[in-house]
Amino acid sequence: MSIKRLLSILTKEYRHIFREPRTLWMVFLSPAFVLIALSLIFTSGTSRVALAVWDQDHTTLSRQFIATLDSDGDFSVRRLSGYELIESSLTRHEIEAGVIIPPGFAKTVQSGRSGSIQVILDGVDTLAAGQATGSLLGHASDFGAQISKQFLVPPPPVQVQSRSAYLPKTADRDSMVSGLIPIVFSLPIIAAALALARERERGTLESLVATPVRGLEYLGGKLIAYVTASLVGLVPVWLTASVLFGVPFRGSFLVLLLLTADFLMASVGLATVIGNVVGSQQAATVLSLFIFFVPAFFLSGLLEPIDTTDIVSTIVSYAMPSTHFVSICRALFLKGATLIQLWRPAVMLVGLSAIWMALGALTFSKEAAG
Amino acid sequence: MIREHLHRIWGLAVKEFQQLRRNRLLLAFLILGPIIELGLMGSLAGGGIKNLRLAVVDNDRTRASRDLIAKLDRTEELRFTSHADGVAEAEHAMQDGDIDAIVIIPPGYGSTLSDVAQSAQMQVIADGSHHAVSTVAIGAAQDVAAEISRELAALHSSANQGPVELRIVARFNQYLKDRPHSITAMLAIVVFEVALVVAAQTIARERELGTLEQLRVTPLGRFELMVGKAIPTLLVGLLDFLLMLGLAAALFDIPIRGSVPLLVLLTAPFIVAQIGWGTLISLISRTQQQAMLFVFALAMVEVAFSGFLVPSADMPPAMRVISYGSSIQHYLVILRGITLRGAGIRSLWLPSVALFGISSVLVLLAWARLRVGLDAGSVRDRLAAIFSRLRDRCQRRRTRRSTRKQTAPKEWSREPA
Repeated sequence: MSIKRLLSILTKEYRHIFREPRTLWMVFLSPAFVLIALSLIFTSGTSRVALAVWDQDHTTLSRQFIATLDSDGDFSVRRLSGYELIESSLTRHEIEAGVIIPPGFAKTVQSGRSGSIQVILDGVDTLAAGQATGSLLGHASDFGAQISKQFLVPPPPVQVQSRSAYLPKTADRDSMVSGLIPIVFSLPIIAAALALARERERGTLESLVATPVRGLEYLGGKLIAYVTASLVGLVPVWLTASVLFGVPFRGSFLVLLLLTADFLMASVGLATVIGNVVGSQQAATVLSLFIFFVPAFFLSGLLEPIDTTDIVSTIVSYAMPSTHFVSICRALFLKGATLIQLWRPAVMLVGLSAIWMALGALTFSKEAAG
Repeated sequence: MIREHLHRIWGLAVKEFQQLRRNRLLLAFLILGPIIELGLMGSLAGGGIKNLRLAVVDNDRTRASRDLIAKLDRTEELRFTSHADGVAEAEHAMQDGDIDAIVIIPPGYGSTLSDVAQSAQMQVIADGSHHAVSTVAIGAAQDVAAEISRELAALHSSANQGPVELRIVARFNQYLKDRPHSITAMLAIVVFEVALVVAAQTIARERELGTLEQLRVTPLGRFELMVGKAIPTLLVGLLDFLLMLGLAAALFDIPIRGSVPLLVLLTAPFIVAQIGWGTLISLISRTQQQAMLFVFALAMVEVAFSGFLVPSADMPPAMRVISYGSSIQHYLVILRGITLRGAGIRSLWLPSVALFGISSVLVLLAWARLRVGLDAGSVRDRLAAIFSRLRDRCQRRRTRRSTRKQTAPKEWSREPA
């Protein structure tokens, strides 16, 4: 291992990145641009459930109930009359749920019994269905407690008071923007995988065989070049999240920088394995899409937290660097965690970078090039 | 004439297939990759938010409060992990990321529960740093509260569920299983990315290797070039789609309630739209690396627009307008409509028209761009070409003006004659 040869490979890689303005842009700035594009779609408020209401009762009480649904930010309410209309709107996915207040609702309540309201949900999107159910139940229970004195009906036996910690108002955007940071960093990481596959495909690795550069020096140079280049890209990403989108950053920037470097080493290590195993850029692209793209959304805990009771999915999730980085980013941005509190994901990332870089070195053989 | 066109297109398509067959690894990735990906992802993830870790601060310690804890634990969403002595201790555990939700049972919960005139209270604190987690945890607690109310009402006929009672039924997915929603999303995303990558890399590769120049000297027109390149991608995409649909139906019990031919018919424009994008990307990038980075950036934005991270109704108005240009969003409405909701073309005409519109616009753009792209290499070259053309024109005008000045006296002299 000679530092001089390592540095010469490093310079060569930097020249590759800097030579083409488009590649340069892609490596340094694309994570921030993609984060902007992704974050723009998240509203800062809570998400609203599209609701259709069919009031068959037409009384003050039924209107009062609809008004409580309407005034609260949870629902966007529209009026539809008739089962046919509600069912077809559900099929077209225009509404998430239909609320039907039957005739005689107010009369039943006035006589001291429970008035029932029918709710037809679209069960396809379970998260939205769960949100609609929880929210409607909460509103029905609150409304019930409010009117129980007036009508001499006993109040609902149990009431739930809820709040979300760490966010003043459960803001979808804050948690998504901070969780998306690992995903946007997959751009420079995959660039590294393709840089390796390209040398193989074009046969330039063959010319490197003739030089005194050893395999480890070659790999080390590539790795350092892409890790440092992407690390510079952290600054625009951080600025995008905290300044442009106002996501609170409660942790320390130095810790973020350190752990991002940790994450990048593990991921570029994984990318090295891909680049080594696959000889063509097309195949490397397809493989990295399968490894970095869909799992990054589904398995990393970004959308649904890892179900720790399922051992296989826990192992697979933990083998992916982005899983740990999602929890690190969220904890640093929203919870203001310290490095000591983050020791678990940090140590996991160190372990993963060691494993993936070792595998990268093992799968690489300079002689088998071309 | 038409036969000649078809003959040339056929020749190019055969060449593409031969290249694909020679790259065994790529072929394996393209055919097996999607099935393995969907199988793995479908069985490992997409099961919804389950087993959230719950800490309980029980200040009541009665039979009723223990019954409440047991009911919370029995839900799919929540899993009782620990008793906490105080709210501060529980919140500290949440800060460390050890628990996801806290339920606080106030003193006197049991006695107020048996008192018909009063509502018993329970407080829920959920980890808002993950929005969906807090929604699900609070929803589960609401469900348990409703369940207790129903039980009490059944037990004492005098007691009541409160003035307002909801009767909730779920359509299309009676037991609210999470898989149908997430599997359909994965299926659409995988079809999308495979079509996009294959389309984007074919022309970018020819350009990087310099074989695009060779294609230029053949009699292939740009229309023939596009169609010839698109046929293998379309076929691979449709094959992947059918394989994955079969897997989803067989392995994950995804119901297919509507018509499969209609679904295939509407999947084709979705793939064609990605071919349009892919061709555009490959025409503005010089190397495969650049093309791939564009593919990833586009894929992320499209997935975000797909209404899968956030329902499209929740987007800010400007973004909602832009999101109508995202083909995956319309396709997911169609895919879920036909498979899960059993919808026919009559309720899906709007997204279908949108999908056909998007794909034809993209194909036309790619077609228009193909001529420019074949001639000039990069943006800089093209700008330089435009600049020099402008300079030439200016120069020509200047020379014309100066020659006119010279010729002018002659014209005047001609006038009196």
